[in-house]
Amino acid sequence: MKTLDTLVARHNNSHNHDSFGIPMLHAQSLCKQVMTAAGELKILENVSLSVAAGDSLAITGASGSGKSTLLGILAGLDQPSSGTMTLHNKELTAMGEEGRARVRADHVGFVFQSFQLLPGLTALENVMMPLELHGRDCARGKAEFFLTRVGLKDRLQHYPQQLSGGEQQRVAIARAFASDPDILFADEPTGNLDSATGAHVIDLLFELNREQGATLVLVTHEQRLAEHCRQRISLEGGKVVERFPMEMACCEAV
Amino acid sequence: MSPQSMLLPLRLLWRNWRSGEIRILAGALVLAVTVVTCIAVFTNRLETTLVAESHTFLGANRIVRSSQPIPEGWQALADEAGCRTARTTQFASMVFAGERMHLAAVKAVTAGYPLVGHLTISEQPFATDPLQMLEAQTVPAPGEAWADSRLLPLLDIELGETLSVGEKDFTVTRVIIDEPDRGSSFALYGARLLINDSDLAATEVIQPGSRIRYHWMLSGSEIQLQSLLTELKPRLTPHQRVMDVESAQQGLANTLTTARKFLLLSAMIGVLLAGVAISIAARRFAGRHVEQVALMKSLGASGWAVRNIYGIQLVSLGLVTSLAGLVLGHVLQEWIAKALASLYPVELMAGDWTAYGLGLLTGMVCLMCFVVPPLWHLPMVPPIKILRRELEVKGLRFYWQSMLGLLALVFLIALFSQDLWLTASVVSAVVALLTLVALFAFGLLALGRRLGSQVGNIWRLALSGLQRNLRQSIIQMMVFALAVMLLLTLTNLRTNLINDWQLQLPPETPNHFLLNITPAEVADVESMMRSDGLEAKGMYPMVRGRLTHINGEIPSQEIAERAEVLRREANLSWTESLADDNKLVKGVWWDQWFEPGVYGVSVEEEIAGELGLSLGDDLRFSVGGLRLEARVASIRSLKWDSMNPNFYFLFSPGALDSFSPTYLTSVYLPQQDKLFINDLLQQFPSVLVIEMDRVIAQVQSIVTQVSFGVELMLWLVLLGGFLVMWAAVSSSMEARMQEAALLRALGSSRNRLLGSLWIEFSVLGFLSGIMAAVGAEVLILSIQKWVLEMPLQIHWMLMLWGVIASTALIGVMGVISCRRVMTTPPALILRELS
Ligand SMILES: Nc1ncnc2c1ncn2[C@@H]1O[C@H](COP(=O)(O)OP(=O)(O)O)[C@@H](O)[C@H]1O
Ligand SMILES: [Mg+2]
Repeated sequence: MKTLDTLVARHNNSHNHDSFGIPMLHAQSLCKQVMTAAGELKILENVSLSVAAGDSLAITGASGSGKSTLLGILAGLDQPSSGTMTLHNKELTAMGEEGRARVRADHVGFVFQSFQLLPGLTALENVMMPLELHGRDCARGKAEFFLTRVGLKDRLQHYPQQLSGGEQQRVAIARAFASDPDILFADEPTGNLDSATGAHVIDLLFELNREQGATLVLVTHEQRLAEHCRQRISLEGGKVVERFPMEMACCEAV
Repeated sequence: MSPQSMLLPLRLLWRNWRSGEIRILAGALVLAVTVVTCIAVFTNRLETTLVAESHTFLGANRIVRSSQPIPEGWQALADEAGCRTARTTQFASMVFAGERMHLAAVKAVTAGYPLVGHLTISEQPFATDPLQMLEAQTVPAPGEAWADSRLLPLLDIELGETLSVGEKDFTVTRVIIDEPDRGSSFALYGARLLINDSDLAATEVIQPGSRIRYHWMLSGSEIQLQSLLTELKPRLTPHQRVMDVESAQQGLANTLTTARKFLLLSAMIGVLLAGVAISIAARRFAGRHVEQVALMKSLGASGWAVRNIYGIQLVSLGLVTSLAGLVLGHVLQEWIAKALASLYPVELMAGDWTAYGLGLLTGMVCLMCFVVPPLWHLPMVPPIKILRRELEVKGLRFYWQSMLGLLALVFLIALFSQDLWLTASVVSAVVALLTLVALFAFGLLALGRRLGSQVGNIWRLALSGLQRNLRQSIIQMMVFALAVMLLLTLTNLRTNLINDWQLQLPPETPNHFLLNITPAEVADVESMMRSDGLEAKGMYPMVRGRLTHINGEIPSQEIAERAEVLRREANLSWTESLADDNKLVKGVWWDQWFEPGVYGVSVEEEIAGELGLSLGDDLRFSVGGLRLEARVASIRSLKWDSMNPNFYFLFSPGALDSFSPTYLTSVYLPQQDKLFINDLLQQFPSVLVIEMDRVIAQVQSIVTQVSFGVELMLWLVLLGGFLVMWAAVSSSMEARMQEAALLRALGSSRNRLLGSLWIEFSVLGFLSGIMAAVGAEVLILSIQKWVLEMPLQIHWMLMLWGVIASTALIGVMGVISCRRVMTTPPALILRELS
């Protein structure tokens, strides 16, 4: 299959540049505050970070610490109150929603805690959906390839209802990779799964990420999962309280 | 737009359909279009047919009736307008054969008669077998005459023998079985004799001063007729009148008008119900799709792309459902027409395409006003919703959506009915009901909250179920109440109408009038009827007299032109008690009328209007050269369509005693007893008979036809009502299922849950039923008063049944749609719904 060949080729490429030179993601002093009935609520305070292409970042923290908010801003789903954000050399904070949608369409993939599969579509159709949305060709071939890759070859025509949580998340992973993203955002992808299934899903996620050479941003509250990532930051009350490796601190200084 | 971008929405639409998400929506859209198409096309066909059919009452599309010959020059006008014409000349004349004679109703006709309908003749007197009958292709040849079968035994002749009218002899060559325009000449009595117009002069019976009725029959397209009539109108003298079906057949025309209004009302209610179902389904669809849109957006779909995706889906859905509705509506009305064909031998004519257009328009308006608004905000859903599920996405304000929906309904209703009162009644009833429900519901639910803490377990569970979802419950209650109200209204109006029609012409409606019975003959005529098992419907004294003076003065020229009653003799009668179908509008009846030395007269409403009469006016009549004076004591309204003997002027008892009145009665004669007339006439030669049997039979069969149509429409609309209620029940199902599953997981027993669901929905049904019953009552009364102009009455039984049925029905629907909770492991449901 042609698709397979190109994919394999690309997989090999990604091993060649281990330098993480070009930043895929660059955030500078992101702040987010909202007005609530009780007054102004600061959700994110002065968060800066940088992730190179092909690198991986884990965002950890307790529930309510602002992880999802940060992820939303990094992925261009939401705007920060202040600060700048570039993704793939495009300054998201300077764009409107339509521009950001374009960037998401071209470069971004998602895996969500609650899987977010459309209940009316089969596994195959769910994976094909984003491809069809952007008018990509070979939607079916790609979808079948990735579903096979996540081990659901026999479940193509099954509806989400007929799949277990772990299987649903694998469909979601196939969907995310099928559109060939440069960067993948995952918001607590194991949050709704038991630990054995979660571990399996995470392995799969990292495996595919390596194969595809994509950049990965992973939100999790499990330290164990975060350790799979090369970079880690930890949030508390919207502030970065811990960073690994330390050299990242210099980014903040810039 | 690339074919690619067309493809995805279509695929999604297909997948949405497959997953059952849009089935209720699509079903409701189809229903709206089906109901409207079916009713519009059917009504249209029925109307076209019945109008054409009823023209056979006239034997033409229009008739110019005159007491003088039609001016020669008018024929040219008719030719110019492209109308076909025929002339008939009718008069009463003695016909002779040997020693025998009979006062016959002679009709001389020109070639072409009748212009509409058929003259059925036979070579076999009293033929009843259709094989022995044929449709006359011509009129009697000069020198020939066609006669009613019963004329032959009256004159003691056979077919082929001769009779004479005035100075001219005719050979009777055929008998007349049926004559289309018989109904338009009630005033003539006696057996029919049909001759050729060219023989008329030779009879020499037409003398100056003889009472002759000239009919100029016209037919053509409505446009041709109108253009001719515009030319004619200024030329008409007071002696000439244009008659159409309405003026010839008031009762039938009324039936058709009410039937049409009823059908339109059904269509309207059907659309209203479907509109509500569509709105509910669309809101539900929108709710389910917010996250899907957020997902698509997170995947990079722009607002535009989303708009396209949903826009194309909606347009396709609209097209497909409208098409399906058109086809279904067509098939359904075709089916109804087929079913009718077995009841009634006249085939329905084709409807015109505008009726289908109405169906299509309905589909589009429903789509724009009920489906689009709830979905309007979907393209604006922020992508971050995918990460923050608790984020509330605001749609178009419910208020605005409701207003838009209401506006659309007003538009559709006005479009269908083109009747201001009907539109106003329905719309204001709907608005009033909704307001009432909202107020009532808030109050009751608040009360329930207080009560809830004092009642048993199951009740508490049920009441808290209602309260947790106050808004939802109120909307549901509105929907239920609306549906029940409209269904009650329609059911009741249908029953009323059909009863009313059947009352007008019950199976044994008197179909013959006997006139000119002398006081001495009354007892004998009655006993002769009795011995034949027949029953006379009252004996009315009658004298013929002409109104000459009002308040001692000869009426002005102006009044004389307006009131035909001044130009001819009227039938005068007196009576002790007022008949059922007469109603006093003004003044008092004889039991309360005390004006010593003066006779009273009660005048029919319309005539009183034409003559400008008011209570206390003195009238003078000339009765056979004698003077009759009376004072207007009351004004009465009449039901002319009741086919009972009715009089413009009814006097107080004794007023006519000195004028040697004759008597009038009516009787029902079954077809096989028809010859009774001959026996009667043989024995009482001076008695006159008006035969109404054919007219009545025809009207009855039309009423049957229309009733059947009305009945079927009712069922169609009932179906719509159920759909709406189902949509409303299932719109809250998810939340309820989740709750119920949770409760079951927490150990609630099946029965307890079932009981609480049952109570919850029954309470909803009960409350809605009460409000619906009140609303329906008010709506029915206003429709009866202003639209159908029927007498008002309160319907306690209907209200009672409405409440009972709505409680039971909604309770059952609720339990049925939740039954899965009881049979499926709770874990499975919770997982599905999470
Ligand atoms: N738009 C908003 N309005 C109000 N509160 C918000 C908004 N966005 C986030 N929050 C609040 O900010 C906090 C951080 O949210 P989130 O980023 O979802 O945390 P995490 O994903 O780490 O659990 C939460 O308390 C959340 O309720
Ligand atoms: Mg979160």
